[in-house]
Amino acid sequence: MNVEMLLLVALAGVTALSTLGVLLTKDNFYAAMYMTLTLVMVATIYAFFSIEPVFILIVFVFIGAIGIVTVAIAATYRHGPERQFSVFWAIPIVVTAAVLCYSIYTYVLDVPVYTAFVTLTTHYSLKYSIENFITTEYLLLLLFMISLAVLLMLSVVNIYRSEN
Amino acid sequence: MPALDFMTVSIIYITAIVILLVGYLTAVSSKDIVRLLIALELMFGAVFMSLIPLFSVLPDPAFGVALLTIFASGGELLVLSAAIVIHDRRKKSILTSSVSIGGDNV
Repeated sequence: MNVEMLLLVALAGVTALSTLGVLLTKDNFYAAMYMTLTLVMVATIYAFFSIEPVFILIVFVFIGAIGIVTVAIAATYRHGPERQFSVFWAIPIVVTAAVLCYSIYTYVLDVPVYTAFVTLTTHYSLKYSIENFITTEYLLLLLFMISLAVLLMLSVVNIYRSEN
Repeated sequence: MPALDFMTVSIIYITAIVILLVGYLTAVSSKDIVRLLIALELMFGAVFMSLIPLFSVLPDPAFGVALLTIFASGGELLVLSAAIVIHDRRKKSILTSSVSIGGDNV
């Protein structure tokens, strides 16, 4: 296992641990902070594969706008939530996860299709440039998406005004 | 920059599945609407994570999908945030038990 693989494993491990923090903490504010850390780690994994545009989009748009709003709401409504299910449900979940992992493990060893997939993906690296994306079709798609987002926001403002 | 071998793809997908499952568990285990919002964001994080291998075979459509996902999920979460504020104004509560329309009893 080389250094890059170790780094990826470490990033994935921190991501999984911060995700578990959301589930385990009882404070909404800390849950939102753990969620933000998880998304930052997901963006960092994108940066690890040199996909910087998506890293910037996730960090600045998703975390910078949505994540911070969530943290602000969580800080406003800060109290420990009640849990709806017993912790004993963890036992069948762990058993199911173990069976699934074992099934996938044996499936990978036996089926040659996976070998073909591995061979296919090994020959590709993440060569990506934003210049390839800026075409007329994608710009039109982007325009439609922005229009949809503006329409959504306008409807929210309308609902908010009618509430007042 | 490492190539996407089987080990790398496995790590990415396992992490995405962990994030998604924790998001589901957070959603079903909480009676708090803010927790639901946080759980939804985690699920979208899992979607972003699972898009990484697509960049290795179809980079440009993958970027289009990522862009759409980020902005669509962002709009959806902003609407949910506004809904939480409006719900709190009406019901003076953010508990899911105070939501009287829709949903189901499990």
